[in-house]
Parts: sequence; structure tokens; C-alpha cells
Amino acid sequence: AVLSLDEASRSMDPGAKLAAVKAAQKFFSDDKDRAFEAKMMDESTHLLTLQQQLEKEADGKVEFFGKSVNETINLCLLNGMSKRADKIKSEFKVSDKRFWYLKLHALTALRDFEALEAF
Amino acid sequence: MSSEPDDRATSKSPEALVDVGLLKEIARKALVDALNSVNGAKTLVLDASLAGPLGLVTEVSLLKHHGVDKMFWLEPGSLSATTPNIVYLCRPMIKYVKIIADHIKRYAKESRKHTYTLFLVPRISTLITRILEEEGVLGDVTISSYNLQFVPLADDVVSLEHENAFKDLWVDGDETVIYDSAQALTTFQKLYGLFPRIVGKGDGAARLATLLSRETPKSSTSSSPDTLLTPSEKIDSLIVLDRRVDMITPLLTQLTYEGLIDELIGIKNSHVELPASLLSPPAPPAASAAGPSTSPPTSTVPLPSLKKDAKKKHHLTTTTDPLFEELRDLNFSSVGRKLNRVARRLDEDYRTNLQSKTVAQLRDFVGKLGGLQTEHQSLRLHTGLSELLVPLTRTEQFNKSLEIQQNLLASYDVSAQISAIEEMIAQGADMQVTLRLLCLASITSGGIKAKTLENIKREILQAYGYNYLPLLLSLASPSLGILLPNPLPANAPLSLTALKYPFTTLRKSLRLLIDDTPEGIDEVENDISFTYSGYAPISIRLVQCVAQKGGVISNPAEKAESDADGKRAAPQGKVQAQPIVGWKGFEDVVAAIPGATVDIVQPGTTGRVPLIASLLEPREHATTTVVFFLGGCTYTEIAALRWVGRQNRGRKFLIATTGIISGASIIDSIAGVGKAAGGSAAI
Repeated sequence: AVLSLDEASRSMDPGAKLAAVKAAQKFFSDDKDRAFEAKMMDESTHLLTLQQQLEKEADGKVEFFGKSVNETINLCLLNGMSKRADKIKSEFKVSDKRFWYLKLHALTALRDFEALEAF
Repeated sequence: MSSEPDDRATSKSPEALVDVGLLKEIARKALVDALNSVNGAKTLVLDASLAGPLGLVTEVSLLKHHGVDKMFWLEPGSLSATTPNIVYLCRPMIKYVKIIADHIKRYAKESRKHTYTLFLVPRISTLITRILEEEGVLGDVTISSYNLQFVPLADDVVSLEHENAFKDLWVDGDETVIYDSAQALTTFQKLYGLFPRIVGKGDGAARLATLLSRETPKSSTSSSPDTLLTPSEKIDSLIVLDRRVDMITPLLTQLTYEGLIDELIGIKNSHVELPASLLSPPAPPAASAAGPSTSPPTSTVPLPSLKKDAKKKHHLTTTTDPLFEELRDLNFSSVGRKLNRVARRLDEDYRTNLQSKTVAQLRDFVGKLGGLQTEHQSLRLHTGLSELLVPLTRTEQFNKSLEIQQNLLASYDVSAQISAIEEMIAQGADMQVTLRLLCLASITSGGIKAKTLENIKREILQAYGYNYLPLLLSLASPSLGILLPNPLPANAPLSLTALKYPFTTLRKSLRLLIDDTPEGIDEVENDISFTYSGYAPISIRLVQCVAQKGGVISNPAEKAESDADGKRAAPQGKVQAQPIVGWKGFEDVVAAIPGATVDIVQPGTTGRVPLIASLLEPREHATTTVVFFLGGCTYTEIAALRWVGRQNRGRKFLIATTGIISGASIIDSIAGVGKAAGGSAAI
């Protein structure tokens, strides 16, 4: 499983990467002690597909693919896709604390003081 | 026991250390021999990871002197060599050999004739020949080895400079490092005689010790010098410590000057990368002599612009920089005071000299001027360096992690610490910082609650990327086991349960934590715990168990405390070094730590067997104890050992290690794969 993960992180092509991560997920789920890892991999595939969608929405202007959840949320916020960011938050059960920090940083970076004020 | 005719120990000053310069000589000579074995001008192709260690043994001019025409890094792609000979120097790693094979094939295509020689460091491996064979170029290459072993980093530190030793051993289960260490230690014994006694702790250490003791008689059948047969006069024992024995220490933030530089800026092969403005004097030396009152220019330049400056490598060494010798082992909090004092003294020196009237005085002054200027320059360097460090130590992240570390060490409200770690993740702290803290929490409290751990792992993966999952897995793997759930799953392998680290009992029995009383650092300074502002590294406490038993139980300076000044251990605090008697007195403590315990007496194979009793007698002349860290040690541990050495009369420590590590470098090396890949995936 680790090997296919390794492969996943190396492959550039989105399709191949997704496949490799899925393979890793399968390996993990075969072993019942690795439920946690399997779940994480599940999330990972989910994130990757979501990122593909996001890239389409942003007309390929923003690169989402292969980013971590935090970075993805951050990118969403920076590019004015705060609805999506909220959605990711709920889908990945991002803790409130972490999300607020992210939002704070993003808004400061944008110098969006009105939004900052509002929150 | 002093009937030995060629007793060189006595000819030198009694406190003299074992001369590690010899090791450097050997390494240099081996390199020259290797180069000379290839005739004519040659192009040297270097594996980049070797450049640092090599730089410590030789200079470019020496290489040039021995026919090296040009030097290249070993990198994929074409190589433009002009000389008929090409010499490769690299560690036996598959990726390097592939590159070499690629080079050879390329040249073969262009039908250019070159002679290829491959020197593998430290020895030839069959795997490499196999790969070359598969690539079909084995016939074209002469393979030989360049046996680079211990490289002296300071006059009491030698290192194999094996960067990945820790990962190789405990993540990949690759034990070549142990073998290499045994080889290097055997060379060491050839020079200085057999270690009369080997004491060690940890499974890896046990393997190393058996390898060593088995190695010796074998090589003695050949025409080996009799130093291998007789116990050494100068060295009284070898203490081998497995890094696994003390995982806590490297995870903490180092607080000595040198350690902090390593933590925050990074020291590689005892070179540190600094802004060029720090190193080269801004003005000709005549101007800089104008007076120390003009503060170094760096103080006025804001940090960010400093960072953008061209980086320049600076060799941190004590041979050219006496000030560094005074500074390197100090707790960072007292570095400023020290620098201030030195600056004042320098200022005074200048002033008194300027008052000199007579010609003789003037001549005296001019003679001293050179020394003053170098001192001045090093003062400037270190002031600048500390100024670089100070803002870094003031960051919230740094202080927060320190606070969490201290609380964890005291086992104070562990769950609160874990949520503090969680908060740091949320704030986007560095991955290695949070992971270090997490591992520390796991070790000190014997595992983190399964539910919490799972949560925090999720946070980590989400915050830093899913490609770190392999890293988390290897941290929890049975061989390493520094990030574990508590209680362990029922079906966990036995090896994992056996690994449980009895931190809380150790804390008591080894007196690891010194109360941070209001008197503050001054008191702490009287114990090795000064290095971590109140925490004594376990590894060094273990060395004390062997070599300075009194120091473990009570603070040696406490006796002197009754004196009015209290500070700075009074002369009577300096005890005569005890003879090495193994773990005696601390068997229980040592047994509590997972891993095998070693205690071997090497009598030597000549008839002259020294009685154990004679080993037990306090020695008249100074001896050296070699402490070998398998898997690397931190600068702070070196500092602490030096301190222990200073407490004893008649014993010096020589620190040998597979490499210098820090918590960051451990995590990074384990994450290595994921990191490199993560970078490429982001493209």
C-alpha cells in the first residue's frame, strides 16, 4: 500500500494519481487494522476528485490538484469561492478552529477588511 | 598495567585527548592513494552528499595536486569531461549508479574513450556490481572503494557523517550502518588499542558490540598491529548508545548556542549557511579596527532583507575561532551576556593599547593587533549570528512549542498539551514542529488516546497533505514506535508492547527534570540539564551512569552550594574520574529501558590479560572514554557530554556518532520520500 502511495505521489497525471491512491485505499481496507488509513485514503480520493471539479469551475486558472485540504480551502477563499470553502469544511469535518484560522489568514491576505469585520 | 613500553599516553600531557587528527590523516591519505591509483589527469565526479564530509578532510588544492582537473556533481544528464580519466566518488546507492551507467553509455554512443573508475564510499557492495552488470557497463568500470570513516568535526567529536543513519536503521531496517560503524571503530582500535570495556544500551548497540568483539580476533590473525591485541592505555571504555534508547532528547528543541543554530539555521557537515554580509567584513580591516563601539551592520538591517542576501557557507570550527569554543555549549540565554563581556574586554584591549607610548609598547601592540582583529571579527560574526537567532526564538511558534515540550516532560496535563498541538496545526505551524511535539507526547505519556490520536492524525493529513500518510505509518511502525495509540490495540505485535518507554519512572530515577527555581538558569547551569533549560538528556544521564555515577543522583555542585558563592562548582566538586565498572548501581534503571544491555570486557588476545581488578583501580593518568551514538546525536548532547567531561578530573570524552541530527532532521529524513514527491506533485 505504501508503495502504491509512493507511486501516487510521484505520478503527475491526475487520472493515474487517482487510480494509485484508490489502489492504496484498497490495500488498506484489506487489512482490518488499517481502517483509519483506509478512511484517510478515501478522503484523499474524494479530495482529488473535488479538486478536479474546482479546477474546472475556476477555468483552470487556479491549480487545486494535489493540494492539501488546508491549501485547498485557502485557495477557495482567496479566489472568492467562499461557498465552496464552506462546503469543503463540512465535507471534511474540518474543525472550526482550524477553519477560522484559515479564513482569517486568507482574508487578511486579501485585505478584505469588510469581511474581516463581519466575522 | 603501565609496564607497556611504548606508553605514549604518558609522554603527552596527562590531560591530552586522544588525537583525532590521526583519523583525518588516514582519511586524507586514503583519498590521495585512491586518486593516485588512477594515472594521469582526471575528472572527479562527486556525489553531492559526500562533498561536505570530504571538505572536512581535504582541500580542493590537494585534489588538484593529485591530478584532478575538474570536479562535477554527480547529476543526471550529460557530463562534459575533457580528460581521459573519469573518477566517480559516491555512496553505494542505486540512483547514483544508474546515473553513472547512463554517463558511460552516453559516451559509448559518442564513441569517446574514457577510463572509468568508481570509488564507492565506504566500501564496495555487490548490489552495485550487479546493477552495473545489468546495465551492461560493468566491464568498462574499475570499481574500488574509498574507505571514508570517522571524520573529525571538532577535537572531541568524530562522525561518520552518515546523514540517513537513523532512517536506515529504524525505518528501513537497513543495518549497513551498524557494520560500517563497527568497521570504523575497528580502525579506531587499530590506532589506539582495544577498548578495554564496551558498555552499551539498545538492540542496535548490542549488535554493534558483538560485531566489534567478533571482528577483533578475526583481523588479528592477519598481520594486524598489536594494538588490536592489547587493551588500550589511553581509552578506558567504549560506551555505545542506541538512538532508540533516548528518542526524547532529539525531539526537543536544542537550546545551546550551537544546537540552536542547527535547529533554526541548520549546520551541515559543520558548515553553516549565513548571509554573506555577516562573513566578509564590510570595510577593510583597518576601518573595522576603528572600534567595537560601531555596532555590526546587521543590527540595523531588518531580517527579511538579510535573508535575501547571498548565502555563504561558513565553516564553524574552533581551531580558527576560539570564541566559538566558548560559546557553542552555552545555553542560548547566556550567550548574549558572554558576547557582551567579550566585546567589553576587546574594547578595553584596544583602549589600553592606544595609550601605549614607548616604541616597545607600540611594537607589542602591533604584534597583538592581528590577534585582536581576528577576535574582533569572530565576535562580529557571533553577534550577528545571535541577532539572527533572537527574532527566531521570539516567534510565537517557537515559544509555544517550548512550552508544550516542558509541560510534556513534566507530564503536566497531557491532554491540554495535545489540544495545544492541535491548535498549532490549525495555525499552520511547520509540519516537523508539530510532529515532533506529537511524538514527544506519545513517548512521554506512553501513547496517546486512540481517539485523540486518530483525530490529530486527520488534522495533520488535512493540513499538510495526504502524502504524509507513509510518514505517520513509519513513525508508528514497530521498529520505531514513537507515535502510538494508548492503549495499544489488542492484536499489536509483541515487539511494540515491549517498546513502551518508561519515561515517568526514568524521570525520577535519572533525575531528568530539574525544578526551575526562581534562581533560574544559574543553578541549572551546574548540571547537564542546562542544555535544555531544565531537562537532562537521557542519553547523557546514561553515560553518567557509567562514568560519573554521583552526577546522576545528586547535583555535584549542590555540595558546593553551601559555600557562599554557590555557583560554579568549587574545586572539591571536581571528583577524580571513577573507573568504568559497567552499569553497576543502575542495573534496574537500565533494564527498564527497552533494548538489550551490553557489557563486554575485551581482554585482548595476548597473554597480558589485565585483571578486572586493575581496571577497577582509579587510574593515575587521564583516560578517554569513547561514546558512540548509533543513529546520530545532537549538538546539545555533545555540549552536555563536554560538561560531564569537565566535571571529572582524569577523564575526557571522545564523542563518536554516525552523524549529527536534530529532531527536524529526523522527521525530515523519514518524510524524505513523501517530501520530494510532494514537491514534484505540486508542479
